[in-house]
Amino acid sequence: MLIQESMDLKEKLGILADAAKYDVACTSSGSDRPNRPGTLGNTVAAGLCHSFAADGRCISLLKILFTNQCVYDCRYCINRRSNDVPRAAFTPEEVCRLTIEFYRRNYIEGLFLSSGVLYSPDYTMDLLYQTLWKLRYEYRFNGYIHVKAIPGADPVLIEQVGFLADRMSVNLELPTAEGLRNLAPSKTRTRILTPMRQIQRGIRSQQIQLLPRGGGETIFQDSIAYGGRSGQRQVVYGGEGQIRTRDFRSPGSGRNGSRRRFVPAGQSTQMIVGATPENDFQMLSVAEALYRNYDLKRVFYSAFVRVNDDSRLPVLPGGPPLLREHRLYQADWLLRFYGFQAGELLTEEKPNFNVFLDPKCDWALRHMELFPVEVQTADYNTLLRVPGVGVRSARRIAAARRSARLDFPDLKKMGVVLKRACYFITCSGRLMYPVKLDQDFITGQLVGEEKRKTWDIGDRNSYRQLSMFDDGFLAAAPTEEDVRSAALGQM
Amino acid sequence: MTIFTCSDTFEGILCGVYDAWMSRLGHDNVCLEIENTGNLRMFSEYRRAEETEDKFRKVTDAILRKAGQQVYEQVYCASLSCQPEKADMIYRYLIYALHFGRGVTDMLQIPAVYELFRLKRRVCNETMHLIEFIRFSQAGKGILAGIVNPENDVIVMMAPHFADRLRGENWVIYDDRRRKAAVHQAMGQWLMIQLPDDTWKERLVKSSDQETFEELWRTFYKHIAIEERRNPLCQRSHLPLKYRPYMTEFQQQAPGAAREDGLRK
Ligand code: SF4
Repeated sequence: MLIQESMDLKEKLGILADAAKYDVACTSSGSDRPNRPGTLGNTVAAGLCHSFAADGRCISLLKILFTNQCVYDCRYCINRRSNDVPRAAFTPEEVCRLTIEFYRRNYIEGLFLSSGVLYSPDYTMDLLYQTLWKLRYEYRFNGYIHVKAIPGADPVLIEQVGFLADRMSVNLELPTAEGLRNLAPSKTRTRILTPMRQIQRGIRSQQIQLLPRGGGETIFQDSIAYGGRSGQRQVVYGGEGQIRTRDFRSPGSGRNGSRRRFVPAGQSTQMIVGATPENDFQMLSVAEALYRNYDLKRVFYSAFVRVNDDSRLPVLPGGPPLLREHRLYQADWLLRFYGFQAGELLTEEKPNFNVFLDPKCDWALRHMELFPVEVQTADYNTLLRVPGVGVRSARRIAAARRSARLDFPDLKKMGVVLKRACYFITCSGRLMYPVKLDQDFITGQLVGEEKRKTWDIGDRNSYRQLSMFDDGFLAAAPTEEDVRSAALGQM
Repeated sequence: MTIFTCSDTFEGILCGVYDAWMSRLGHDNVCLEIENTGNLRMFSEYRRAEETEDKFRKVTDAILRKAGQQVYEQVYCASLSCQPEKADMIYRYLIYALHFGRGVTDMLQIPAVYELFRLKRRVCNETMHLIEFIRFSQAGKGILAGIVNPENDVIVMMAPHFADRLRGENWVIYDDRRRKAAVHQAMGQWLMIQLPDDTWKERLVKSSDQETFEELWRTFYKHIAIEERRNPLCQRSHLPLKYRPYMTEFQQQAPGAAREDGLRK
């Protein structure tokens, strides 16, 4: 597992991008920060996508590992210790230059830096810290940074890094403790959840303390006790015989005394779909719990790709379970913006998503007693539950009906997908098709439509991942109010 | 039918709106067209709308006072569209906007409002796409040059984004279709220039560095895709083919050659 020192930058980049690509998070959203003179870059709240790779996934950030060396041996991971693959490591300098030069040319929104565990979690986290510090203070980079918190790293390091990043993430990887034991013996539930909790507390306490605090006080009174005087803290750690110590200044204050915010774009996580036997209901319930109890901004789902030939890993004949992943994203969207709860979409008795129907249609068909609803009078949250009505279209309907009586053609203009919605709504008391339709017929129609939507875009088993945005082209993030009502779980 | 014609500018269109409206011939008996577009219609009288500062200001004031900033921005955005019918669409829209005021933006059930909404949305979408997909290259002397080929006249909408983001850089965004450029000076202002010929573009292309970072970006781009998930149709739906000739990651040959290639029509 020797790093080849002589490798050129292009080779390294190839290896370390390859090694990073199984992490699916690539959004650059959640931070809205204008440029400050003397710096390079800004961030845009909704995030930007600069390109799309051959697999159709968005490229927003320079997603790389610092190094693909790792002391651990997680079964599903291409970088695990026991794999005989070429290893490489960047220097902080190289990462900075790549980020800056790519950013200036408008290739990227910023950096997504992750890493295998080199020597120890502390050692690795410190490398990430050095890199980010250099990027922010030497290269004056003001764009987006997403960085991994390495489970097991000293909380002080995690805190320091949090003040340099926009978003942090710790990957849960597998939804149950048992799954972890089986495939990632070096990771435990607690080890993963500890930094997640720390980051959550940091974000929260910052929201509470509106007044700036003096000098070197840490914002994490409850999670970390700083030793030494006035916020100075030494971290001592070793790797292969080297001992390093580092003095930290007061957290969150930049070189010129300006205060930085802690993880302003929130934290996210990722779960692998299909590497372990958990069902969809378990996955979705875990996601729901993370949103509720850890204030996560996003949970990402990553269809399992069998990169290692390992007897403990399943062989999935159809390749990565893309449809399952797609359904989880759709359901996740329903949790976050449509006011649904996991228990409404799936149950112990029916723990997996319908292959043929998206979760919202599936739910609506099981609740025909609630439909049809009258477009003119139904409240906003009820409209949101109608198949074929998205966040944007519901908002437009609510605005337009104040001044007019809406008819079916009008709804189409507001972005409603009538092919789906027509069975669930009335306009001025009328259904679009005058005859009373039974549930079987509607199911048949919706399944047919879903099939076309799913299959005529992709060949074999490829799907358009973003078809979950009901209002198609308008894939922008919903507004604050949607987020809030979704968070309140309003029906 | 009386047809008013105006120049293809925001100012021109608003002056056209003024003349058509103030002619008192009745909204149904007049029509507004961009000059030199569309066929000559029989049994119609053509009148050229003269552009004056005064008319422009009157219409602008009326919009801002009665319908607000948002409507004003929508109309400006729509005026950048490549659709020749845009002048009349703006006129029809303003009839409702000045009547209903701010609330008009919610009245998508009204055809004139919906038409303008779509027009504006196309312009905004293209602006967003190009803000994401434009690629700069180092054009010597510390200038970043990005060449685009937009259907609508959007570089003026792109410039503020980069003026903030790349505040400390000298940059040029060049519209290959219209021979226009937005030019920004480091730490300074940006401005629009109309160019008489292709010499500018040639200079921007020629001086483009064949630098390692373009090659490094292509390397990254290639490696970040997961082979098992290959999905060209999905890729195409998000990143339409028309943008690709101008994007570094799709220029396969030596950067300089590819750039020339991609730009040849
Ligand atoms: S810790 Fe596990 S998942 Fe992370 S790089 Fe090492 S082997 Fe891979």
